[in-house]
Amino acid sequence: MILEMKNIQKHFGDHEVLRDISLSVDKGEVVSVIGPSGSGKSTLLRCATFLETIDGGEISYMGNCAVKTKPDGEVSYVDAKDLRRFRNYYELVFQQFNLFPHYSILKNLTDAPIHVQGRSKEQAEQTAMELLDKMGIADKAEAYPYQLSGGQQQRVAIARALAMDPEILFFDEPTSALDPELTGEVLKVIRQLAESHMTMVVVTHEMPFAKAVSNRVIFMADGVIVEQGDPEQVFDNPQEERTKQFLRVFER
Amino acid sequence: MTLSTMLSTMGVGMLRTFAVFSLTLLGSLPLGMIVALLKKSRFAPVRLFISGYISIIRGTPLMLQLLVWYFGPFYLFGMNIGNWRFPALIFGFVVNYAAYFAEIYRGGIESIPVGQYEAAEVLGYTHTQTFMRIILPQVVKRIMPSVTNEVITLVKDTSLAFTLAYQEVFSLAKQISASQTSFMPFLIAGIFYFVANYVVEFAMQRIEKWMDYYK
Repeated sequence: MILEMKNIQKHFGDHEVLRDISLSVDKGEVVSVIGPSGSGKSTLLRCATFLETIDGGEISYMGNCAVKTKPDGEVSYVDAKDLRRFRNYYELVFQQFNLFPHYSILKNLTDAPIHVQGRSKEQAEQTAMELLDKMGIADKAEAYPYQLSGGQQQRVAIARALAMDPEILFFDEPTSALDPELTGEVLKVIRQLAESHMTMVVVTHEMPFAKAVSNRVIFMADGVIVEQGDPEQVFDNPQEERTKQFLRVFER
Repeated sequence: MTLSTMLSTMGVGMLRTFAVFSLTLLGSLPLGMIVALLKKSRFAPVRLFISGYISIIRGTPLMLQLLVWYFGPFYLFGMNIGNWRFPALIFGFVVNYAAYFAEIYRGGIESIPVGQYEAAEVLGYTHTQTFMRIILPQVVKRIMPSVTNEVITLVKDTSLAFTLAYQEVFSLAKQISASQTSFMPFLIAGIFYFVANYVVEFAMQRIEKWMDYYK
């Protein structure tokens, strides 16, 4: 078990965004999370990556507990230094890429491995070049993010995440900020990763893509998991009325 | 008085002006950053103190502040201010300019998208690494035009040292002009300030251009 989230609760003010959500991901699994906007999909990823603090529940990576809730309801995270150790287990690819504009593409990929993980410059650069090659943008190593198209920038962001050699990779709507003609190149890269059995959780609105690449699809609405199962089951034979209603919108 | 004696007397003043200018920058550029960071402190009393400091500095004339720095220690503590003129001058300038730089830095820091912090956090950078490696370099680029403005103002503000009878170029110009009944010293001082700012402008433009490799 790489990630285990149990009974996660999160609210912003009075608004309950996640109500008692549990999710576990095994090694090599590709999980797609679909659902209407505002259903809590992105918040779930942000809680898993500690960008948001949870209001209840438990999160473990590789069997190590990072946050738990005591019986009296008090949520306790491990201290900041240990939390940073947990950050080695995962990486997150953002909707808006969030590349570092003042670093070349190569440096975007090598800076954290060198300065966070303490790898040698030679090793980090070698890994980076291999990844850029895999992404089909090795010729852009010396360029700066502003010189790249959105699709290229997102592929760099994926490579930057992979350069950290994470156990699990999260994607937060990786193609939503892209022009339609650029989504294909990014989805292709994620599909290749799925084929190489990278453990991934992908929040997406690309239904055909979710159906094609994932081992498991989770449909979320109003802060709960309404339905989950293998893609054929969820897409072709949904059991819940809410799921059917959501999927009908996409058939139109 | 010949033109060359005039020039050499004023030349000493120019060096003193340059001393005030460079020491002020040396002190206020880093101090401004500390002030900017303290203004974002988690402790309310610290934030309050910093806000008060910035309000007072921006709300009163620099000339008055210089006088307070110079005479204050005497009136408040009976301190002998015989050798206090130059230190008072530098303290006055540094503390004043730090407040303005702090506000420029703060604006720059707040203009960096939150996504930059989040990306750095997920990658595992510490807070210090995030600030030094990711945020600060981008801030520097963004605030360059405002800093240039401030530096140019400082070149001209050094003439306020005249208030404390510090013999920099402007004080000397006024003295020599009075004793020699000549307009020449003012002309020389004017050309000096103009050329100095021309150099500042040129240097800052080069720095901005150098940082233009990314957007």
